[in-house]
Amino acid sequence: MLAVSDLHVWFELPGGRELHAVRGIDFSVAAGERFGLVGESGCGKTTAILALMGLLPPNASVAGQVLLDGENVLARGEESAAPHRWREIAMVFQGAMNAFNPVRTIGDQIVEPMELHDIAEGRAALRRARELLEIVGIPGDRVSRYPHEFSGGMRQRAAIAMALACTPKVLLADEPTTALDVMVQAQILELLTSLTNDFGLALVLVTHDLPVVAQVCERAAVMYAGRVAELGSVDRLFHDPRHPYTRLLFAATPDLYGDEAVASIPGAPPRLDRALAGCPFAPRCDRAFSPCPTVTPRLLEVEPGHIAACHLNDPAVMAAS
Amino acid sequence: MTAAVEAAEAPESPIEVRPGLIRSKVLRQPQTIAGLTVLALFVLVAALSPVLAQDPKAQVGPVFQAPSGGHPLGTDGGGADMTSLLIAGTRVSLMVGFAAAVVSALIGGSIGLASGFFGGKIDTILMRFTDYVIVIPDVPLMIVAAALFGRSLTNIILIIGVIYWTTTARLVRAQVKSVRERVYVKRARALGAGNARLIGKHVLPQVAPLLIANTVLLVAYAIFAETFITFLGLGDPSLISWGRLIENAFTDDALLNDAWWAIVPPGVCVAIVVLGCTMVGQSMEDALNPRLSVGHLSVRRFGLRPVPRREA
Amino acid sequence: MTGLDYVAKRVAFACATVLAAVTLNFVLFRAIPGDAVQALRCQHCTVQFKNALRKELGLDKSKWEQYKRYLVDLAHGDLGSSVRSQQPVWDELWPSIKNTMPMLALGYLFAIFFGTIIGVIAAWRRGTFVEKAGLWSGLGFYSMPPQWLGLMIVLFVAGAVGLPTSGIKDPTLGILGDASTLDILVDRIRHIILPALTIGLVLYGEYALIVRSAMLETLGEDYVLTARAKGLSSWATVWKHGFRNALLPVVTLGALSLGYIIGGFITVEYVFSYPGIGLAIVEAIDQRDFPLLQGAFLLLAVSVIVFNLLADLLYFKLDPRVTT
Repeated sequence: MLAVSDLHVWFELPGGRELHAVRGIDFSVAAGERFGLVGESGCGKTTAILALMGLLPPNASVAGQVLLDGENVLARGEESAAPHRWREIAMVFQGAMNAFNPVRTIGDQIVEPMELHDIAEGRAALRRARELLEIVGIPGDRVSRYPHEFSGGMRQRAAIAMALACTPKVLLADEPTTALDVMVQAQILELLTSLTNDFGLALVLVTHDLPVVAQVCERAAVMYAGRVAELGSVDRLFHDPRHPYTRLLFAATPDLYGDEAVASIPGAPPRLDRALAGCPFAPRCDRAFSPCPTVTPRLLEVEPGHIAACHLNDPAVMAAS
Repeated sequence: MTAAVEAAEAPESPIEVRPGLIRSKVLRQPQTIAGLTVLALFVLVAALSPVLAQDPKAQVGPVFQAPSGGHPLGTDGGGADMTSLLIAGTRVSLMVGFAAAVVSALIGGSIGLASGFFGGKIDTILMRFTDYVIVIPDVPLMIVAAALFGRSLTNIILIIGVIYWTTTARLVRAQVKSVRERVYVKRARALGAGNARLIGKHVLPQVAPLLIANTVLLVAYAIFAETFITFLGLGDPSLISWGRLIENAFTDDALLNDAWWAIVPPGVCVAIVVLGCTMVGQSMEDALNPRLSVGHLSVRRFGLRPVPRREA
Repeated sequence: MTGLDYVAKRVAFACATVLAAVTLNFVLFRAIPGDAVQALRCQHCTVQFKNALRKELGLDKSKWEQYKRYLVDLAHGDLGSSVRSQQPVWDELWPSIKNTMPMLALGYLFAIFFGTIIGVIAAWRRGTFVEKAGLWSGLGFYSMPPQWLGLMIVLFVAGAVGLPTSGIKDPTLGILGDASTLDILVDRIRHIILPALTIGLVLYGEYALIVRSAMLETLGEDYVLTARAKGLSSWATVWKHGFRNALLPVVTLGALSLGYIIGGFITVEYVFSYPGIGLAIVEAIDQRDFPLLQGAFLLLAVSVIVFNLLADLLYFKLDPRVTT
């Protein structure tokens, strides 16, 4: 359904410099599958999914392919990306509180893409909007209310309803549960899970919150410094991480049940406005050794469906050092 | 407070002032540099005016003589050299501008400080008072006050100062309120610091830059206001200012004489100084009260590139 | 707070402010060294006349008595009498008001129309030449003293387009033959254009700047990105999401700008000898006709207050968040 191949994104900075925010990532998501994109803030995950819809500012440049049902959405930039928006690929933004225009009703805003893309109009569209709200667990009569009359959690649901307005095939969710309390978080995640099951949506869930990924996603990619560090099923990532970053990330998550000390990863991610030499994680890695600072690790398949970019998995490198 | 006005004037997200902020964010902007240069130039002229324009009102030629070699801006309705008049006028106009702005800043700043810091009843009373003052039309009040209290320079400065403090008060109040909530202030208070110390050491340094930015904008207003007062014949008759020059041109029938050189230059000077103040003040305020600088709509599109070769 | 509550609150506030303005008016005029009658300059103002006038105006009583009398008079719509002409102030001012209103209205329309268009386009086409032009034209006109701009227009424009630059009517109209209503109307309009243009340009500056600023900010909001993500065209996004939201601060400005432009139109009327309330004020200053000044001042203050109230109510209508 969705296949991202060698995606790069650059941003022009004032002063002539350039920020290479996404540095060649590949992943694919099948219909009905839930895929997680995980990493610390600044690792490029939000930029990557914005690029999938071509929602980049004018100081950005993009390279690579984004295949949506076989068609490359980025072939001609904005021109080829625009027709797919909302119809095939839709997004639930970070902080959906602000994704709604405060002076128009929720219903109005859900109907808007329907009328725009000739899915429905007038009364029929409003009826459909009501149905969508019901699907996400909001009473249909709220369709004529304004965004500020909804709680944060409800607004998030409404945003999901709005995203489904044109029955897309791919749903992108950027930190859908941040700033929501734990109970509401669980409900939203359950909603997303059932939606993908009921409608056969491909879901890409972007988050820095590992428990979220663990609860919802089947497969996930861990991003670091604009690259994929490791990709595989969530189960394997948790039980058998093959990249130190993945391992440390899981270890750094507070464990509600155990009494293990919360470990955070010391140091900070590298700046992305300059070229990176060697493994970007080397300075913070607890298992770094001689090739790490200078030789860039390749993405290797450590078992079927599980790849990682770390020299520790590379028998050739291990033998040489 | 009108809801509309409140919503429009509230600072978006007052940021914390750190040393070096001014230098990095404000002074780098081309518009700040341009504005400051212009203003510095005018201040220089004002300071040197006794030297550059010895006896500006002296008649040195025929009335309304067109610009010529000896008199690059011609003569006015009394035969005096326009260039000298303009230079002399710089001093008074700028002086009134700065002085009145300072008066406004002091009043507005104090009220805003008291209101924001003490909160509660004091806040309500002061803000109510401010609301009433805001609504009173400024120029008629100035006209009336000038007509009533006389036409001296001090009066004019005071009148302008007493009318324009309201925006400053609101701005300062909002800033003080947000500073008051910051952790280090609460901590200092918990440690037993008295009000004076809190204000002096913690609140004022955070508020000062915004106050200065606002005062710069007030200078522009004040210079404007002075031109209104003098134009209506209510200015100090013994002083030359740009406003006075415009008034003179009008009452001396420069229009009938087609004497554009008597009319155009003083207005241009006012406009340039006001522009300069606006640019500097605005860029300072923008740096201190950042509004979203992201734009999601643009005519230009994002670019496409070929895939780079894999880094080895 | 329900809608009705909000309206009631705003109206109450407006009334309180009117009272404050009235009181200020009173205090200000009584604070003159000497009193209003003493400063009067006119031909028949002998000492006896002045004393009699003083008694009639109640200026020999205590300040508090005078204040109460003033309030009572106001309640009856009596703004006092012009000391110069002995006519009620209201009768003196009403014709002037009738002259000023169309001129101001025309100026406002000009400013709002062009200011909004240029402001929106400048924000939409951010970073282009169009934006720079919009920004600088706005800044430019905003920085010009209105009376000076009026003089410049008289100097450079009036002759070129053949429009009159003083008064409100051509004195020769109707003398040589009957003037039709159309002739009179055209004549009035010809006299209004230049002063209205001056006011319009000054206000345009402010509007263009504020609209641009409001639009820029609106265009950075998340819901604009959402609109783009939904597939709305650039134009549709600006219109449906940007404009309506940016209107809010513009409405505020509409109210505030009346206060701002008062200084402007007084001096502009003076420049163009346009017989509106501004010119009446200037003449009253000259003749030290304080009751007239007092009345005019109060009228202006009340107008500003009413305008602010209207702006509040309009804002309430436009922004559903206000009632919570």
